[in-house]
Amino acid sequence: MEAKQFKPLPDQPAPISTIGAIAWLRNNLFSSPFNIAVTVVIVAALLAIVPDMLDWLIFSANWSGTTQADCVKEGACWVFISAWSQQIFYGSYPGEEIWRVNLSLMLLAGVIAFSFILPAHLRNKVSVPAYLCLPFICLLILDGSHIGLKEVTTDLWGGFSLNILIAAASIIIAFPFGFLWALGRQSHMPFARSVSVTCIEFFRGTPILALFFMGSVMLPLFFPADVSVDKLLRVWIILVLFMSAYMAEVFRSGFAAIPKGQYEAADSLGLGYWQKTLLILFPQVIKVSMPNILATFVMVFKNTVFLLVIAVPEMLQVIMSALSNSNWLGGHAIEGYLFVAFIFWICCFSMSLLATSIEKKLDTSHKN
Amino acid sequence: MSADQQAIHSTSDKEIIVIKDMNKWYGDFHVLKDINLTVKKGERIVVCGPSGSGKSTMIRCINRLEEFQRGSLTVNGVEMIDDVKNIEAIRKEVGMVFQHFNLFPHLSILDNLTLGPIWVQKKPKKEAEAIAMTYLERVKIPDQALKFPGQLSGGQQQRVAIARSLCMSPEIMLFDEPTSALDPEMIKEVLDVMVELANEGMTMICVTHEMGFAKKVADRVIFMDGGEIVEQNTPHEFFDHPETDRLQLFLSQILQH
Repeated sequence: MEAKQFKPLPDQPAPISTIGAIAWLRNNLFSSPFNIAVTVVIVAALLAIVPDMLDWLIFSANWSGTTQADCVKEGACWVFISAWSQQIFYGSYPGEEIWRVNLSLMLLAGVIAFSFILPAHLRNKVSVPAYLCLPFICLLILDGSHIGLKEVTTDLWGGFSLNILIAAASIIIAFPFGFLWALGRQSHMPFARSVSVTCIEFFRGTPILALFFMGSVMLPLFFPADVSVDKLLRVWIILVLFMSAYMAEVFRSGFAAIPKGQYEAADSLGLGYWQKTLLILFPQVIKVSMPNILATFVMVFKNTVFLLVIAVPEMLQVIMSALSNSNWLGGHAIEGYLFVAFIFWICCFSMSLLATSIEKKLDTSHKN
Repeated sequence: MSADQQAIHSTSDKEIIVIKDMNKWYGDFHVLKDINLTVKKGERIVVCGPSGSGKSTMIRCINRLEEFQRGSLTVNGVEMIDDVKNIEAIRKEVGMVFQHFNLFPHLSILDNLTLGPIWVQKKPKKEAEAIAMTYLERVKIPDQALKFPGQLSGGQQQRVAIARSLCMSPEIMLFDEPTSALDPEMIKEVLDVMVELANEGMTMICVTHEMGFAKKVADRVIFMDGGEIVEQNTPHEFFDHPETDRLQLFLSQILQH
């Protein structure tokens, strides 16, 4: 007997009421009496606040001028920001040497961009060393005394460029440190294990402010009077150690997410410990840890404003001293702090966009 | 049993795996009890038994994914001792295929296959890729070489996993329930590859519940329960004249469907 032929049914379009803008509005804003009420209240609140806010921020704001006397309209006095813009971005770095700061920032941007553009087989060989060398190259450029440029001592470095560069330098160095501590923590060797656990728990369990104070006030007491370690260098080391502890925990959770079968497959192929760690585990750990790695980056980047408590002239510190300048007394605090918040928000938001694109790029699993 | 053994032409007298009085505990739990097993070169062995009987644990001891506490194990003349060099030497001789494939999801199929040859055997990339393609053709999926494991079906992934092990040109292949995680339609394509491999004279130890496969290719079928080898025999004797009541019960339960 001949078998009946099986014919698959053709695909049909989804019902029109479940797709499109109307459906979205209905599902998300007006799906129940409670949701309708919430929508109405929020829209009313926005209507009450937003026009005045925009007026103060933009339409009635003072945009041009150079001194406080130019702020005549009742809106925000953005002249305050533009008048202080060089200090806000570069601190007290000498005006004619500012290109060195810009060069460092461009190198940083270049290395990040390159790690995206380079083809996969060159990425690890070129980008990893480039990242690791970057902080030291920037150090040479900014200091200048070792490469035949005019020396600029670190007490003159400052402003938002310092926030960016010290955060980047800490993140870059903390990455391998954190990975090693994470490996140490799950190692079978008692020495590596106890050292890692001690470091991680100490730096993770101590507030960053306390660490900064310790670094700036206490540590010099232990050194002989004639030995002085640069304050910025101490801050950098503290940030690196603090960040490493967090990264180590991020990596540890990444390791925990790798199925046991991956270890077994690597073992059964005869791969050695470092081959297994670097070729099999590391890429997968990075992938699953990406959201947490980024959260840690953002945290450290934002933590750089705490440098103001030990009088390192980072962005917020510059704004605060500008606010107490005798030519600008009279309350531009809101503009100043809004500006700091806005700049940090822009940076952190772009970092999270960057991370999303990295996650997509790394995703080869197709979620099976 | 010995008469049947010699009738199989592809086995030689060389003893490639010798397990003597192997005992293993997880904490207080005694998982392997006095395991004695000798495998000759070219021999195809199927291990079956209820879950928790220690069959996976036993074959995982052979390439030291699990440690055992008492007894001895010799693989291809190398005795397993607690030494990294020694363990790596044995792992190079033994390929393993897992229930859940365990392909490396961040590497393409080709990179999955060339990883071992390049990093463990230190072969040049070109040569490793040539070897990889040969084995991909043998498992009949050369066109998937540049895809990632997540894009393949379970059956295809398992065939890649077999090819990955073969790329290391192992003396022995261990299969740990290779078809248990597969859809019914995909089991056949994996078993076909395994049958082909068996016909080429590869030494194989296979933990599986595919009794058809056991009847078709096995030189010896081993039944384990409660951490010990209860019975071992040629497939013919094993299925038609089980000696112990435990095996009779087991067979009646798995074969009644």
